[in-house]
Amino acid sequence: MTRTHHADGAARRLSPMLLAVLANRFDGVVREMTNTMLRTGRSAVINSARDFSCGITTADNQLFATAEGLPAHTYGLNLQTAAMCAFHDDIAEGDAYLHNDPYSGNSHPADHTLIVPVFWQGQHMFNVCAKAHQADIGNSLPTTYHAAARDIYEEGALIFPAVRVQRGGRNIDDIIRMCQRRIRVPDYWYGDFLAMLAAVRTGEKRIHEVFAKYGAETLARFVTEWFDYSEARMRQAIRNLPAATVERRSAHDPLPPMMPDGIPVHAKVTVDPQAARVVIDLTANIDNMDNGLNLSEACSISNSVAGIFNCLPSDIPRNGGSYRCVEVKLREGAAIGIPRFPHSCSVATTNVSDRLLNTVQAALSDLGEGYGLAEGGIGMGAGFCVISGRDPRHGDHPYVNQLIIGNNGGPASPTCDGWVTYGIPVVAGLMYRDSVEVSELSYPIHYREIRLTTDTMGAGRRRGGPGVEITYGPSDGPMTVVFAADGQVNPARGVRGGGDGNIGAMHVIERDGSRVRAPSVGQIVLDVGMWLNGVETSGGGYGDPLDREPERVREDVLERHATFEHARTVYGVVFNDARLNDALAVDVEATHKQRAALRAARLRAH
Amino acid sequence: MADRRSEQAWRISVDTGGTFTDVVVVDDSGRFTIGKALTTPARIFGGLTAALADAAQKLELSMAEVLARTSIFIYGTTRATNAIVTGSVAKTAFLTTAGFPDILVLREGGKFNPHDFSTPFPKPYIPRRHTFEIEERIGATGKVVKPLDEAQAESVLRDIRALGFEALAVALLWATANPMHERRLATLIEQHLPGVPYTLGHALNPILREYRRASSVAIDASIKPLMQAHLRDLQSDLRDAGYRGELLISTTIGGCIDVESVIERPIHTVRSGPAMGPVAGRRYAALEARAEPALVVDTGGTTFDVSLVRDQHIAITQETWLGERFTGHMLGIPAVDARSVGAGGGSIAWLDDAGLLHVGPHSAGAEPGPACYGRGGTRATVTDAALVLGYLDPEFFLGGRMRLDTDAARRAINGIAALLGISAEQAAYSIFAVSNETMINAIKDITVSEGIDPSEAVIVAGGGAAGLNIVSIARELQCRAVIAPRTASVLSACGMQFSDVQAEASAAAPTRSDAFDRALVNRALADIDARLDEFAARLAARGFDRLSRHYRVDAHYTAQVWDLSVELPSARIEDAAAEEALVEAFHAAHRRVFEVEDRASAVEFLSWTGRLSVSLPDITVVSQGASHEQAPTRRQVWFDLDGAVEATVVRGDALATGAEVSGPAIIEEATTTLILPPGTRARLTTNDSYVIELSA
Repeated sequence: MTRTHHADGAARRLSPMLLAVLANRFDGVVREMTNTMLRTGRSAVINSARDFSCGITTADNQLFATAEGLPAHTYGLNLQTAAMCAFHDDIAEGDAYLHNDPYSGNSHPADHTLIVPVFWQGQHMFNVCAKAHQADIGNSLPTTYHAAARDIYEEGALIFPAVRVQRGGRNIDDIIRMCQRRIRVPDYWYGDFLAMLAAVRTGEKRIHEVFAKYGAETLARFVTEWFDYSEARMRQAIRNLPAATVERRSAHDPLPPMMPDGIPVHAKVTVDPQAARVVIDLTANIDNMDNGLNLSEACSISNSVAGIFNCLPSDIPRNGGSYRCVEVKLREGAAIGIPRFPHSCSVATTNVSDRLLNTVQAALSDLGEGYGLAEGGIGMGAGFCVISGRDPRHGDHPYVNQLIIGNNGGPASPTCDGWVTYGIPVVAGLMYRDSVEVSELSYPIHYREIRLTTDTMGAGRRRGGPGVEITYGPSDGPMTVVFAADGQVNPARGVRGGGDGNIGAMHVIERDGSRVRAPSVGQIVLDVGMWLNGVETSGGGYGDPLDREPERVREDVLERHATFEHARTVYGVVFNDARLNDALAVDVEATHKQRAALRAARLRAH
Repeated sequence: MADRRSEQAWRISVDTGGTFTDVVVVDDSGRFTIGKALTTPARIFGGLTAALADAAQKLELSMAEVLARTSIFIYGTTRATNAIVTGSVAKTAFLTTAGFPDILVLREGGKFNPHDFSTPFPKPYIPRRHTFEIEERIGATGKVVKPLDEAQAESVLRDIRALGFEALAVALLWATANPMHERRLATLIEQHLPGVPYTLGHALNPILREYRRASSVAIDASIKPLMQAHLRDLQSDLRDAGYRGELLISTTIGGCIDVESVIERPIHTVRSGPAMGPVAGRRYAALEARAEPALVVDTGGTTFDVSLVRDQHIAITQETWLGERFTGHMLGIPAVDARSVGAGGGSIAWLDDAGLLHVGPHSAGAEPGPACYGRGGTRATVTDAALVLGYLDPEFFLGGRMRLDTDAARRAINGIAALLGISAEQAAYSIFAVSNETMINAIKDITVSEGIDPSEAVIVAGGGAAGLNIVSIARELQCRAVIAPRTASVLSACGMQFSDVQAEASAAAPTRSDAFDRALVNRALADIDARLDEFAARLAARGFDRLSRHYRVDAHYTAQVWDLSVELPSARIEDAAAEEALVEAFHAAHRRVFEVEDRASAVEFLSWTGRLSVSLPDITVVSQGASHEQAPTRRQVWFDLDGAVEATVVRGDALATGAEVSGPAIIEEATTTLILPPGTRARLTTNDSYVIELSA
């Protein structure tokens, strides 16, 4: 990678104080951008699900700073700003560019990205970026996840390959009008556009302030040293891993009729602690598919690398410096790799990305005890569907919105049980959940239940987090529900002897109370009196459940996460009483015997 | 009684923290006297008496004489906060709508770091095993979707009684739109569990969003037995000590209220300490005739609190976390927006495995404390750095009550300096600057979220450690001025002296600007007024009659999730003009905070709040003046990485009103030290504050 900021060599290093202070300043810039987006965003996917990221790249297009961003978004901003530089030879101060092109660096078309080049004394120094998932992007169906789309044309999104939307700080209204014509909820889109604009212009202003105080020369040195520092942290972390090549396969659920056998996912990870280097080889994956589940280049890289970061100390900066230690091998024309136009990447950020991330982090568990993670709960089931229709309470005003109210449980780690409000692997718990009351106020929807499921978590020395069961239907007028779920055939896997999570399911409950299994990908219309019931999935376990401390099992039983039966048959823990009260105690001797018996039965089974 | 309040009688305020009890006695001339003692958690009156005796001694009076001259006694306590954080609260049952037992588990989601898998998921405030589902359901419009199953409810209440619960928290979905099921449950609770305290969602905190409401209800119910006993003990102890005046309790919104009101809703005592900082800051800024927004900071040994005052209004938030954000518990009621970060004199400096310097968030606390305390601490802290830089006089720390070990501080700092390959002083200055960064970011966070530029603001510095770095921080943020009151070390207790009697009532009445339901809103406002009337009557009977009311509403553009608070132009929305004024006020607030507005969008109004305020008579702060003469001394002090300069060292109590001190200088007070870098100048004002102008 080139380093144009390296003009006067590394002879004069910054003081340790200035390095720490400037790191903090840039962190503050991204945080301020993030807060601005969070508080001004209009669609629920932004302000509730936090499905957005802000970041800074250098003028030579290295990822420089990201904060609190989604793993799925952390990489790729650099590809997008590189596209901006490649497509335009008249980039000037006051410009802003709209980018959502998955073939030139974006995650998927629903993630609109605004890029503002930051100039100082006439020189292009940085780019500030805000990327946010939109409520609607004008697809052929009212969803931003068009799983069945044969190609980009059937998908139908407006594609912006780094298109200039501001010149001299003023909107280029042609582009705004195009979006407002095509996008189903133009007011939400424009509101989110303004939120992104506020974020990037704030970032630009703050970077100018840093330049004004410290000068271009100091900042150039800072950029170099910060990348070197980040690389050093990453090298140190990789040196602490054992040398090995680990390989793991997984599969997205079958998607009849497109992919009746599912979508295979393969990752081979080579850890070389001596060279302080990790190589992720994704080239053995299948060719591009004629549907919307292909990964973009950005998603292939960011979600495989996120699987590595998940297993390292969580405070390593994620930027061009730490990325120097990781090589991702991709194949052009592969479903997990670099997509060949016009294959659709409509659903690139979630389903197969979730599987890829899970596969990489679980592969690292094969390095040995204490490494890697189990797989996290998976699938955008009933609680993550896109609902749409007309709201009779507000003059039949149309609505489209993705629900973020369900929950899959997180993966067990070597030290912790799975995080409960995990969502899906690519958001890793960052999202906010909708409030039942706010959701019922905002849309004509009525919820019947949302409760954590029992006995479902992937068992283990550390267990997965539980998913929820959720039931809802329209309160007023028919409601279209579009979904692209996973985890209804292939569960989240446990590792190192840990159990798998449960298998999810969705059912339509008809007016007469009968239950009909819903497809995992598709679209249904619910009339008033009909309900959608979803059982979402839990995370996989880490380590042998028979090694789980009996006190933890007791707490799970008392808290109704596990039944007595589950405790006895899966964990081998027996209690002194069959009633649930605070006096419940582990029967140590009976537990010892039960665990011995379960171990013996395992040996016999082999 | 009204007569007595019209003149400035003596007033006592008490802030009982986890470690110290602070007392401020203000006499009829406006002179502040500070008393301090260790807190006695078993019976709070012990430490309170000791602190009061400390103040009385300085006034050369007996405690009984001080109490006899006092007409208003304001009490603030961290008792409730500590009980919640340590989990030592009543065994509380959580009753909620069937189908939704996990409101307190699932919360509103959110997590800091996507790559962190070693933080355990937080336990719910009330365990699932103490959660009971009630068969009923109200819809979003208030319609009964499923009637209350009384037989099932009674069976649950019998179980609760059998299991020995000490309190009940009732939070049903949409009770804010129709409280009939919660009210009926209350009747059944009183039948089946007479005398057991309970809290109802619609009555305590009728806001939208079930988690926040349920969390506030759970917290309130769980501290009722404890706080009711605590406050009644205090009442009787004070009576036994001969006190006959008014007892007021300081609250979460930076006001104070009569004991009976708090006994009904003890949640309003939670985090009342940090709420009082900005009340003090607001007054100190006003006394100096500063119209700018004021950033009020309170720096202690382990935490740094910052809050904001604009146009005399203290910023209020609906999102206060007890403990860390996402992993703590949300308070759920409006509270003074005081942001806390883990930074202070005790913050520990360390290097990561690639050699980057970090300071905090780990703290050496009070035990063992910084290395220079000589109590066994060996790791370098910010206080050690301040000592090595020459900011602190080892012989005059806390007014000479504690001797600092300079050698120990230097040894600790040398550990860092050797690894960085720089001198001890350079390392100390680096630690100091990096620690300032944490505070600078905390200040930026609150100004950003309120749409304020720090360069338009003044800083009011409170807390024992604030003076060390506040001028540096203010210069970094390009603030206009720093106000450092001489009583800064007891900021919360001082704030109580300036607080008003306040009560709030809320109601949920969701409506939109494109279909504004005036009748619904005015009904909600009338309901709020009816509840405020109860407070007003009770207060009027006690002679508090300088009443005023203000109203606000939480609103957002349709489909936004986070609300902005907007003041209502009038007590009711009677006509189209009032409606328009309200919508305009929202656009203006949105533009101010976010720099954009969206006039094409409808505005959604959700929760309405009325605030009743009763002004207590103003206190005139008077300057203490110079109490003795002492010539300035000089010592070598570091203000950057390049080297030491000679600074003037003066004792605060040797300065006359109006005196000016030019940096490089150090002003030493009995409880705090003010550092003036070169090029800055402090003036001691008639209001007993140091003012450092920075704009010029």
